[in-house]
Amino acid sequence: MSFRKRNIGLSPGVDRNAVPNAAAQLAAPETTPGIRPSPDDGRPTTSTGTRSLDNLLAGHAGLPMGKILLVEENGTTDFAGALLRYYAAEGVIQEQKVHVVGVPEQWGRSLPGLIGSAESLDEKRSDRRKDDRMKIAWRYERLGEFGAVAGSRGAPNNPGEQDTAAKEAPAFCHAFDLTKRLTHPSITNMYFIPVMSSKESPFLAILKQLQTAITSSAANTIHRIVIPSLLNPTIYPPNASQPEHVLQFFHALKALMSAHNTRVTAMITVPLSLYPRSSGLVRWIELLSDGVIELCPFPHSADAMATSGAATSQEEPPQGMLKTHRLPVLHERGGGSDQNVGQDWAFVLSRRRFEIKPFSLPPAEGDTEAQEASAPGGMPKKSDLEF
Amino acid sequence: MPSQPPLPPLLAPYVSNLPDSSLTLVSSILGATSNWLVLRFLHAALSSPSPNAAFGSDELHNGTKKKVVLVSFMRSYEFWRTEAKRLGLDLARLADKQQFAFIDGLSELFYAPQPTATPSISPSGLGSSPRTTLPMRSPPGAVPGRSPQPAWPTVTGARGNAMPKQAEPGIAKKLHFSGRGLASLDALEKDISSVIEQQKSSMEDGDELLLIIDQPDLLLAATGPSMGIGATEMSEWITALQQHAHATVLTLATDAPLIHNASTSGGLATPIETEHAALVIGLAHRARSVMQLRTLDTGAAKDVSGVLRISRGGGLNASEESLEEREALYFIQRDGGVKVFGRGES
Repeated sequence: MSFRKRNIGLSPGVDRNAVPNAAAQLAAPETTPGIRPSPDDGRPTTSTGTRSLDNLLAGHAGLPMGKILLVEENGTTDFAGALLRYYAAEGVIQEQKVHVVGVPEQWGRSLPGLIGSAESLDEKRSDRRKDDRMKIAWRYERLGEFGAVAGSRGAPNNPGEQDTAAKEAPAFCHAFDLTKRLTHPSITNMYFIPVMSSKESPFLAILKQLQTAITSSAANTIHRIVIPSLLNPTIYPPNASQPEHVLQFFHALKALMSAHNTRVTAMITVPLSLYPRSSGLVRWIELLSDGVIELCPFPHSADAMATSGAATSQEEPPQGMLKTHRLPVLHERGGGSDQNVGQDWAFVLSRRRFEIKPFSLPPAEGDTEAQEASAPGGMPKKSDLEF
Repeated sequence: MPSQPPLPPLLAPYVSNLPDSSLTLVSSILGATSNWLVLRFLHAALSSPSPNAAFGSDELHNGTKKKVVLVSFMRSYEFWRTEAKRLGLDLARLADKQQFAFIDGLSELFYAPQPTATPSISPSGLGSSPRTTLPMRSPPGAVPGRSPQPAWPTVTGARGNAMPKQAEPGIAKKLHFSGRGLASLDALEKDISSVIEQQKSSMEDGDELLLIIDQPDLLLAATGPSMGIGATEMSEWITALQQHAHATVLTLATDAPLIHNASTSGGLATPIETEHAALVIGLAHRARSVMQLRTLDTGAAKDVSGVLRISRGGGLNASEESLEEREALYFIQRDGGVKVFGRGES
């Protein structure tokens, strides 16, 4: 060990203090804000605006560039719409070009307001939990969260190197508040592409606009394509749902994404109540998408669910189930091997976050006697198990 | 994790040495895609048997030389190139050696981008391609190629022999769909067969050409009877293409809604479902073997990606050759390696 250290000291121009920062600084200059390499295989990814959804996407911790994420929703709720708004708002914050298809500009004005980076929200939550813990060395307790909340506080009183490094790295994912409205200078940069009914495919005009917007923009502009409630009859003309129109559109969209596979992502929602998954058309739409996620909200009246679904009293009860049918990149390669595949997921939408967590049923209620009876014994002794 | 051989031993007899004029069907579903298996077909045909293939000794190997033409309707060349590289296949180099040709049925099949698009696509979209090729690229590609669509069949005919001036490195041809009905399919067939003939021109006696068509069913789904294309037309189209090749591999989607709706729900099935089912079932009857990929019936597992079932197709001449039917599990590792193993083994 000592041999190595001396070596470093001897070589000229290497400042020992700078070493920890070197990696961060090397990566920083060429990255665009909002884009980071996937921890899995290094391909560029961008955030969906929902941290737990990012984490669901097959180890890439974000939506890989050039991929289409399809979010399907059962019933008449609009959870998918909330996900879509987060996705659009994240694009606005990261100053990407956001193209919204089929909805009026009103939609853009109702994007959720920014709270801060998603990390900071998590820190605050963990902080709140820490409050009722025993305090040791209180003067150091805030050190850990320093970088993450540096923006929200006044003058930082500890200009450590760690802190500056954290501030340099821009936030990848942000947290939003559904009750507030997003105000950001680049919100006017959103493009709204109307759906025109025509004898030809109504998607033709949309595709042309997307194509010109993307190809004519500078090479380092990142685009997001947002398509809310695809094929919804209040937005789309009747002939849009003919397979030759919608499937050709998806195919061409896929082509567009693969031609610009470092600059574009897309998120599309489909109402499953109108277009069930058991139909061939929807299946082809799914086959043409890179990621497919289905939201199954619990029936609204299920108050019983509200008490029994949550694992503990502190946790919010899940509002529905989430199924992953296909994940980007992973399934393109053949599927498998991801720890997130095949799990049961539940989602909770609260004012400040859309959270996806493993779904688990609590122990059956009314069975308290049985539980108590088994409690004193605890785990069976080793001698009981051996035979 | 120990690295797997590129071609799992259990799989090898089924993907290599396909007999003459045989049709192999690979069926996939949403959660169990077939790309990895297509790559194994590529590997079986293109990699040289000698272990040090990477050093260019593959000219020497005995037996027949194989060529592959891959037509992909769902994936870009970029995808196939990077995934093949993980198996040690350099598709770009093989394309230069005229052993491999890629026909792009994705990027411009239904909508060709506007001419203005071409200059700005390349620097970003093909980030890895050498910059020096760009100036050459736009004049032949953009000016004659992207002109009004009806002119396509004649234009492609003229461009067919101009392989060195191809638009993008590695892509032999980009397919364009125009018009409707049989005429449009004929134009596509002409495009594909011209590439095949091009490959054949450098073939010696005994060389074999493998044609792989990745998801031709998309063409049927995205056009359908309202555009004058049905299952019959599609399967005739495939027969016509089969005649140009030594052996043919097709990948098709066989998700339950696409296959079973046609028979169960009576009058409720839509044309997209009935035509798809008719096409797939018809082809399965003609195929020599059917390799079916599906997810585990019992839910997902951490060390199993899916189930591979290999069964005899209706077109197998049982008296002349035997094909062992079997069902195995497969697992795709993070590094792209594939394990194929029987149930209960690991």
